[in-house]
Amino acid sequence: MIETATQSSLARKKKKPDIVPWIFLAPYLALFSVFIAYPIGLGAWISLHAWDFTLPRRPFVGLGNYEKLFTPGSTTFEPFWQSMVNTGIFTIASTPLLLAIPLLVAMVMNQNFKGRNLFRAIYFAPYVLGVAVITILWRYLLDNNFGLMNYLLDLVGLPSDTAWLTSLPAVWVSLVGVTVWWTLGFNSVIYLAALQDIPKELYEAATVDGANGMQKFRHVTMPGLKPIFAYITLLTLIASANMFGQSYLMTQGGPGTATRTAIYQITETGLRNFKMGDASAMSFVLTFFLLLLSTVVFFGLREKKDAKS
Amino acid sequence: MRQQEGAKKKFTGLLALTAISAVALAGCTSGTDSEESAGTQSPTAEAVAIVLEYTGPAIELSYWNGFTGGDGPFMQSMVEEFNASHDNITIVNNTLPWGDMYSTLPTAVGAGEGPDVGAMHMDQLPTFAARGLIVPLDDLVVTLGLTSDDFTPEVWDATLYDAARVGIPLDVHSLAMYYNTEHFEKAGITAVPTNGAEFEAALIALQAAGYQNPFWMPNRWPSHLMTLSLTWQFGGSAWGADGSSADFASEAGVKALEWQRSIIDKGFSPNDVAGDSQYIAFKNGENSITWDGIWQINDLQGSEMPFGVAAIPMIGTEPGVWANAHNFFMTTQAAKDANKAQASKVFIAWMSEKSGDWAGSGMIPARDSVRTSGVLDGLPQGPVADQISAMRFLPAVPGIGGVQGATFEVAVSNGILGLEDIATALKAAQDQANALLEENRVQFGG
Amino acid sequence: MKLTKSSLRYSLLIALALIYISPIIFMLVTSFKTQSGATSYPPTWIPDPFTTQAYETILNPANDTPVFRWFLNSMFAATMHALLVVAIASLAAYPLARLKFKGKKLIQGLVVITLLVPPVILIIPSFNIVNDLGWLNNLIAIIVPTAAGAFGVFLMRQFFLSIPLELEEAARIDGANRWQIFTKIVLPLSKPGMATLGLLAFLSNWNDFLWPLFVLFDNSLKTLPAGLANLQGSNAVRYDLLMAGAVVASVPVLILFFFLQRFVVEGVARSGVKG
Repeated sequence: MIETATQSSLARKKKKPDIVPWIFLAPYLALFSVFIAYPIGLGAWISLHAWDFTLPRRPFVGLGNYEKLFTPGSTTFEPFWQSMVNTGIFTIASTPLLLAIPLLVAMVMNQNFKGRNLFRAIYFAPYVLGVAVITILWRYLLDNNFGLMNYLLDLVGLPSDTAWLTSLPAVWVSLVGVTVWWTLGFNSVIYLAALQDIPKELYEAATVDGANGMQKFRHVTMPGLKPIFAYITLLTLIASANMFGQSYLMTQGGPGTATRTAIYQITETGLRNFKMGDASAMSFVLTFFLLLLSTVVFFGLREKKDAKS
Repeated sequence: MRQQEGAKKKFTGLLALTAISAVALAGCTSGTDSEESAGTQSPTAEAVAIVLEYTGPAIELSYWNGFTGGDGPFMQSMVEEFNASHDNITIVNNTLPWGDMYSTLPTAVGAGEGPDVGAMHMDQLPTFAARGLIVPLDDLVVTLGLTSDDFTPEVWDATLYDAARVGIPLDVHSLAMYYNTEHFEKAGITAVPTNGAEFEAALIALQAAGYQNPFWMPNRWPSHLMTLSLTWQFGGSAWGADGSSADFASEAGVKALEWQRSIIDKGFSPNDVAGDSQYIAFKNGENSITWDGIWQINDLQGSEMPFGVAAIPMIGTEPGVWANAHNFFMTTQAAKDANKAQASKVFIAWMSEKSGDWAGSGMIPARDSVRTSGVLDGLPQGPVADQISAMRFLPAVPGIGGVQGATFEVAVSNGILGLEDIATALKAAQDQANALLEENRVQFGG
Repeated sequence: MKLTKSSLRYSLLIALALIYISPIIFMLVTSFKTQSGATSYPPTWIPDPFTTQAYETILNPANDTPVFRWFLNSMFAATMHALLVVAIASLAAYPLARLKFKGKKLIQGLVVITLLVPPVILIIPSFNIVNDLGWLNNLIAIIVPTAAGAFGVFLMRQFFLSIPLELEEAARIDGANRWQIFTKIVLPLSKPGMATLGLLAFLSNWNDFLWPLFVLFDNSLKTLPAGLANLQGSNAVRYDLLMAGAVVASVPVLILFFFLQRFVVEGVARSGVKG
């Protein structure tokens, strides 16, 4: 290729060892070492100690913290695994909705019509408002005694005394619902861009072939979305598995600890109760599961892509 | 942020140090005498003011506290009064929820970004002393003439850590019963209920008068305070005497939580009452009785609704009510700087002498001499203060607050919401708590 | 036929838009209610009495609820963070796109690994490191630690690769060194990429809640999410105040968004397509 030839001729001109690349890379490498590589090592080191941030004594306990995490009845077993289960519930409940509903909305918007940008902006607005504003607002709307939600339900004759934030399973409905409301615009925008990249000719050809809406969706839209599907799925899954703000601000992890997610438990243990050894061990276990999840999703979606092509 | 540099500071500091030593020595000699004899007079406010002066350069002190309720505005105005009357000291008030304060204090002080002085609950003093974050204030205790005779034993003992006094008690506060006087009138209730039977009778009368849910039982704050109180009333105690063990699942504890659940089962309260919403409902007139801390008095007075305050009724077999005490502390951060240390002591001393004024916030002065001096006459919390002998406190053990939050409060919440069988929930929480207490002992004590 | 399809579309979109707009309106309306008005039942759409007491309380400096200050802190931190991210990612991506050097594969592998590292594993140790650096309670702790992101490097690398090599070749022949090529040719042509990356970095920092919650103590230093959380903690049931706070937090953001929305939305859209 011409490119390679030109590059090699450029390269051959140099005689001394090239430090230019390293100068370019220096800032990144500096930050990487201090804030990514070193912390990973430090985190592992901390997890091997009974490390209380505020006390000078931090005795080495080997794999003791990890053992505790896998020993039923220990002080960390139940809280941690409960939080993992909670995280799992939220991820499973929210991800399909976060993938499907924005796609539907994007499909409805996938045409040049008057006001489209306005609608797009309206749905996207909550995302720029941020998690704190959104959760304060919805905490108010979902209050079971004076909230607007129960009032509106009452108006249409539906049961209006659900404790949206303090009872199971309603609290999950609230958390998932608010999360969908909050991020629908964001995901829709990504879908919309991908949909617009699908050539109109493909749809026209399909119509000529006699395909109906459902078939067009399966054979034109879905394949066309493949490139971003892995991206948006991973993005959504990871975001759901890392959920913290909604739980912390809307339900305080309640009722009891039923909506306390894994990250919430880790920060509570490590940065509120200062038991950093335990918290660090927890974060490594969670990381293992997240890596597993990412790998499964990534390879799962890649295979389909290769198979189709 | 609040940095001051230069040799000038060192010189003034030295001057102040000399002044402090002089004061301390003076205080020491007279103080030792009063420690020995019983019932001595504490120095008058004027005397203290003269003795404790800050003559250094203009200084700013960071003051953290958790007075976010009705007591907040009152504390704010007291701080303003102090700032106005002290030319060279400015107190910067930082109020945040107690829970947040306790969790951010260690890192903040460690990083030098924390408060110089603050207020905290008595059961937190050992935790922060054990973490090396707050310093002994023995010289201040002596200067103010505070002795054990002037305080409830538990309150006084809680200020002691490792043979040093680390807190200056400001007030005592407990749960109280608030009732809507108009509702009571309408229901024909003339005497405030004082025991379980009278209480239930009152609830039934209120329902008959049209108040469907007269007494709301929250599942979170301040629910576990009620459980603690009722457990004492039933003859038990959630915590072992010296805080070395948890005893949530005793017969008394189970009875206590079961009584709370029964309020919902009997229809007096809706289910799923979120923390603090029973209080809003009370202010809105949606319920007739609520149990809450006396710190709400100021807020209720501001809302102009017709309310009365009384001690919580004796549902069990003996009087008992949860109480806590606010204490002033000084951090190691402030102690490192002679000027800050002195200015902090001036502030704490001033506040302590003003504990009678603090009663205006709905609190009860911690010092017996102040409490019985008439400052509470005519104040709503008067009837509660009369029951001071029924007040029970948490044992002062490092880390106990965290343990209670992680175990007891969760069990109470689940029990009231009906999510778990009460005896099972309390037993599981108890086992968990004991394990955590053991861990804490190793971590803090060993 | 077309008319029905169009009106169906509009009905769906308008219905959805209502679900988005009405809560915001209710938030605005409630901010003008009294304390008891905000928690009364049934809820009302018209405040009666109409009062600005909530705003007066929030904006009163004595009450330590500097919502506008929080907004400014967030703006500052997010902007600085975005600039830092774009700078560092661009610098790192260039050699990976254009230069041959020993260890290139290693560095590329390193960047991929960074992509795989879940942030949760960094929380506890980063807190210790930030403390040791003396960065606690300082906005720098919000700006710097998360600036070395793999996503940015990949994004910029792809943009660089799409620039015709001949342009750089020509400059090389003219005697330009790598730095000049980078700054005078490559970067100017990568503006869309830098804008997209900057925007995403800005949004991610703007929305970050967990980290500021634990590293910023002073009320005057907090970013918007942390400050609002504090407001909520101290005034759990003062919904009039909370709505007023939320409105003060939202208005500047919405104004900015109104002017920049095409840019923002299209930037996010591009991130998906290219990534």
